[in-house]
Amino acid sequence: MSTAIETHELSKRYRRVSALTECTVTVPEGRVSALVGPNGAGKTTLLRILAGLASPTGGTAAVLGGAPRQDPAFLAEIGFLAQEIPLYRRFTAEDHIRIGAHMNPRWDASLVRTRLAELRIPLGQRVGTLSGGQRAQVALALTLAKRPRVLLLDEPVAALDPLARRKFLATLTAGVADAGGELTVVLSSHLVTDLERVCDHIILLAGSRVQLSGDIDTLLAEHKVLVGPRKDTAPIERTHKVVQEVATARQSTLLVRLGGPVIDPAYQAEDVTLEELVLAYMGADEASAGKRLTTVGESS
Amino acid sequence: MTWLVWRQYRGQAAIASVLLAAAAAVILADGFQIASRWHSILVACAGNTACLQQQAPLVNGVVSDLPYISLLVPAVVGMLWGAPLVAHELEARTSDFAWSQSITRMRWLTVKVGWLLLAAAACGGAIAALTTWWSGPINAMSASAFAPGQFDTQGIVPIGYAVFAMALGITAGTVARRTLPAIAVVLGGFIGLRLVISDFLRQHYMAAVTTYYSVGGSFTAPGQSWVLAQGAVGPAGVVVATGWGDLYPALPASCQTLLPTAGTGKSGSLSAVFSCMRAHGWRGFATYQPSSRYWPFQGIETGIYVLLAAALIGVTFVIVRGRDA
Repeated sequence: MSTAIETHELSKRYRRVSALTECTVTVPEGRVSALVGPNGAGKTTLLRILAGLASPTGGTAAVLGGAPRQDPAFLAEIGFLAQEIPLYRRFTAEDHIRIGAHMNPRWDASLVRTRLAELRIPLGQRVGTLSGGQRAQVALALTLAKRPRVLLLDEPVAALDPLARRKFLATLTAGVADAGGELTVVLSSHLVTDLERVCDHIILLAGSRVQLSGDIDTLLAEHKVLVGPRKDTAPIERTHKVVQEVATARQSTLLVRLGGPVIDPAYQAEDVTLEELVLAYMGADEASAGKRLTTVGESS
Repeated sequence: MTWLVWRQYRGQAAIASVLLAAAAAVILADGFQIASRWHSILVACAGNTACLQQQAPLVNGVVSDLPYISLLVPAVVGMLWGAPLVAHELEARTSDFAWSQSITRMRWLTVKVGWLLLAAAACGGAIAALTTWWSGPINAMSASAFAPGQFDTQGIVPIGYAVFAMALGITAGTVARRTLPAIAVVLGGFIGLRLVISDFLRQHYMAAVTTYYSVGGSFTAPGQSWVLAQGAVGPAGVVVATGWGDLYPALPASCQTLLPTAGTGKSGSLSAVFSCMRAHGWRGFATYQPSSRYWPFQGIETGIYVLLAAALIGVTFVIVRGRDA
């Protein structure tokens, strides 16, 4: 399987602030990747660099084998939808469809019309007068109509109500299915629950750095929650990497990345959910500052 | 891409056309009246120059300011079309939509800027054609097409102004990333540059011609010349004069006493003063730009504004290419 997106120590600094630091990730072709992280983690910066809208200050990025660049052939492969759902508010959806037809080599106008008809979104109404959910649907349909091979969506559901979110993600899923495994998607959000249903890959950014990335199934298999008596974790850390430790007075719950079988019978190993995993790694960003241990309740 | 420009500006183009048509109607209606008055004056005077000079001005009051619409149109074009061209796309984030299509930012900018500069030139040209035609009889009667104020509102210079104001708006909007400050820059920059050029630079496009004549003789600059300075030259040097007040202190005492002085009852004759001045080696002079330079000056001034516009557009391209979107 070929690689759709590959970055190597990608960095972006704005004067004194680091928006992205040495970000190295790989997204294989056909994946739907969740780009997760708290606000300000660098998600937007990463997506904009991949879309060719911003240039990195360090490292390299490759999308479909080449660096993102101002070149019609490259831009034709990329679908980018920014967080603000940028559309010309005074134009109708139909106007946007015609603009797209004039500005893209393989434009699928019928895709937009069909999808918007299904959603009962009027084509002839100014998009500024549509609801936020409808506007997001119009923007997504337009982005899909470009027939991109890489789709980059920056928090497109952040401003939507739960029903609109579900509808939006349904459109996305349908678009991915239409593309038959040739469409790679990176979809950012600060809420992992939004993305769990549609994504099979994850990139977790926190504090401008990649904390975790890979196929979700693999990552879930590689991590366990160990519940056992509170004691020195040094023996565990010889084989496993403790990502997070939550302790009460007697009991300790460790989220570990397995380095082998768990042999200590004092611990009970449990499967980890994606949300637990994400929260643990987001916390690990702070742990690098020496706060890995979270103590719950009274500590002795 | 052109279709996007058309879609974005067709409403404004319609409004601009209606406004220009309304302005044209007013200018034409007034212009025909002026032309017919001028025609009857010509018939009445039948080639008598003195008769022509005694006529009341063809226009007065607010109507005489009408040609300044040729300066207003470029400023408005720069403020309302130039300033938002890039800035409003950035403000509304629609640049993210445009720049995510399969065209490069440079192409997007080229097509948009190209059409809008063309529109600015068309607006400037249309309004200038109207005011030039309207000013025809006034130019003929007062021989003043080259004078500041009239030179600026006629011929081809308004085209240069419009192209410049548009470019200034585009560049200011690109730098500021916001429309409102860019509008202020257009207003201030356009008025400021126009003042500097029309008041200080224009007279130096070509070395002015100076003519000397006998004191007391009259001088009339040939055709529609632009007289920069007039006065007298004595052994002590040049005195630029608009009246006797300027000249008097420089005159030799013997000539001063010959001047008639109002209020004192002292009489004298100007011809005696003139012959006294001639005897002391005084000559009259006039420094002017001959009327034959009217079109070269129009060309030079338009060229200056167009070159400045080109430099500004160059800056815009460099910024849009280099800056993160």
